Amino acid sequence: MIASVAVVGQENNPLYLQSFIDGDDALKFHYIVHSSLDIIEEKVNNPKKPGVSLNETYLGLLYPTEDYRVFGYLSNTKIKFILVTTDQDVRDADVRNFFHRFHAAYVEAASNPFHVPGKRITATAFTERVTNIVKSFGASSLA
Amino acid sequence: MPGGGREVAESCVDSLNLELVATYCKRLHPNKPELAARRIEAIGYQVGLQLAERYTKERPRFADHLEAIKFICKDFWAEVFRKQVDNLKTNHRGVFVLQDNKFRWLTRISVDSAPPGEAAQMDVNAAANASRASQAAGQYLYFPCGLIRGALTNLGVACAVSAEVSTLPACSFVVRVKV
Repeated sequence: MIASVAVVGQENNPLYLQSFIDGDDALKFHYIVHSSLDIIEEKVNNPKKPGVSLNETYLGLLYPTEDYRVFGYLSNTKIKFILVTTDQDVRDADVRNFFHRFHAAYVEAASNPFHVPGKRITATAFTERVTNIVKSFGASSLA
Repeated sequence: MPGGGREVAESCVDSLNLELVATYCKRLHPNKPELAARRIEAIGYQVGLQLAERYTKERPRFADHLEAIKFICKDFWAEVFRKQVDNLKTNHRGVFVLQDNKFRWLTRISVDSAPPGEAAQMDVNAAANASRASQAAGQYLYFPCGLIRGALTNLGVACAVSAEVSTLPACSFVVRVKV
């Protein structure tokens, strides 16, 4: 089950964070996302490490914690997408698929003429779309 | 575009660009051509940011500036202007010249021919016409300049873009990468 998703901008500024765990513990996920940014930087600057092929947008598993596993995705325009999940066993294909759809949703949101580049995404349409993507992520891993 | 993406009627884009120039250069800031240019460029910049995000969605990240510029010349140009850049030159020190021999957005622009009474001065007029044409066409390149700058900036290449028109509809864009 997905615990939280986040979009982080070019200057490592938070653009969007949504938690899907009951009880508002958004702050905890801010911490998790924030600490994962260092790992993204490390992965991008040392591409020789095994596991990530050169310059691929999908960065794979960033790090596991006791309760969560954190996955990352870095777009060509240096926008970071982060997925925090409680499942210990997630299929790689599912995660890739999720990030593709998440990125597509972000592109639509960023193309909104009322969206100011580099500012938080506040559009409710984006929240709805992300919620749908997150819901269908759970469904596909059950099937 | 493969996959049947949404499309925009080309005549609408043409008309919009014409109207953009008419609004800013003739109506809002008739006495401040530089301000008008900056405003139109800024609109192009934001559109460029958004288009870059969209068109690079399915591809791996670029390793360096040259790859980003090549992407602009090939894929980005093909998406927006329906052809590729004809010639790309660089001095390998941060200046790139993108030359397009038939720039799509200039193909439907023409200049009024000389008044009939001055037919005798045909030679002089031809030269004057050519310079007037490139001067007038320059206004219609503010938007594409912003477009290119926006796209490159979003791909991590901070730069300044200017345009030159030699003979319609050929033009070249000069990209100066900020170090």
